Amino acid sequence: MQASTPQEHWYSLAAQRHTSRPLNITDGQQFSIALFVFIDAATFSKSNLNGSEFHVNFVDWIPGIFSVLGMLIINSIDKSRLSADNFSYSGDGVAWKARVVLFMGFAAMAGGLAGSVTVCLLKYVVREASWPALWFGVANIASNALIMLSSVVLWVSQNMEDDYTYNLAL
Amino acid sequence: MAGLKTIIVLSFILAIGFLLVILSAALYKNFLTLLVVATYVVAPIPNWLCGRASSQDDFMDSGSSSIVELGRFMTGFLVVMGVALPVVLAHCDLIRPEAMVMSIVGGLLIYGTIISFTMFFHQEEEF
Repeated sequence: MQASTPQEHWYSLAAQRHTSRPLNITDGQQFSIALFVFIDAATFSKSNLNGSEFHVNFVDWIPGIFSVLGMLIINSIDKSRLSADNFSYSGDGVAWKARVVLFMGFAAMAGGLAGSVTVCLLKYVVREASWPALWFGVANIASNALIMLSSVVLWVSQNMEDDYTYNLAL
Repeated sequence: MAGLKTIIVLSFILAIGFLLVILSAALYKNFLTLLVVATYVVAPIPNWLCGRASSQDDFMDSGSSSIVELGRFMTGFLVVMGVALPVVLAHCDLIRPEAMVMSIVGGLLIYGTIISFTMFFHQEEEF
């Protein structure tokens, strides 16, 4: 900061940040929203406001666990491995192996989303839960969908690394 | 003496933020909202640490490495957690809605102070 006032300096810094990394929802923030949607349901289940006989058990956590597992698997794959079959330095078929692992990750994530829909239907909709108890199932679906979306955001942002754009504009 | 005014203004904003959070806890005799302060104080730390870890061989490769992205992930997680925690607590009737609003505003003031402090004095250190 040579001759400019602190305000101008701050504005120029903010402008630099905006051009390089726009102020959008990052993957971590989206994952946080997803986790807290579900934690809200679990806390509401134990709170005084829940007058129904429906409660959040371990069964409700299983789809979320699978979604997080799939997200970890997908994001721990190096993206250059997927198309580096020719000059592979660790044996043949690296791209094929990477695709198999990637498929397992996507399968875990899709299974988590489908499992959340299953839990919502079988545990709450079929037994005709009214609204404050129905929120447990809806929050389960919403959090799993948000985890999937955050993984998509991370994937796209890592594949757009060349353009120096980190985030997907939402 | 541009830095002195900045420090004074930032410290005022920080004090107002702490005042709001402590009032939201003390007015309603429910000290769960103090978790917001802990969250926002911890929030920039992963970004700092991972940025420091990657800046050693910075001229070798362009683009961000995975540890920088891990730091951004955790920082973004904690920033949203600072807002989401009072909302969850208020929705589940553990704190009052007024306490929720006060703690969210106070927490955002605290975090804004930390971020602008970093932006002011990190640049000075580099050049």
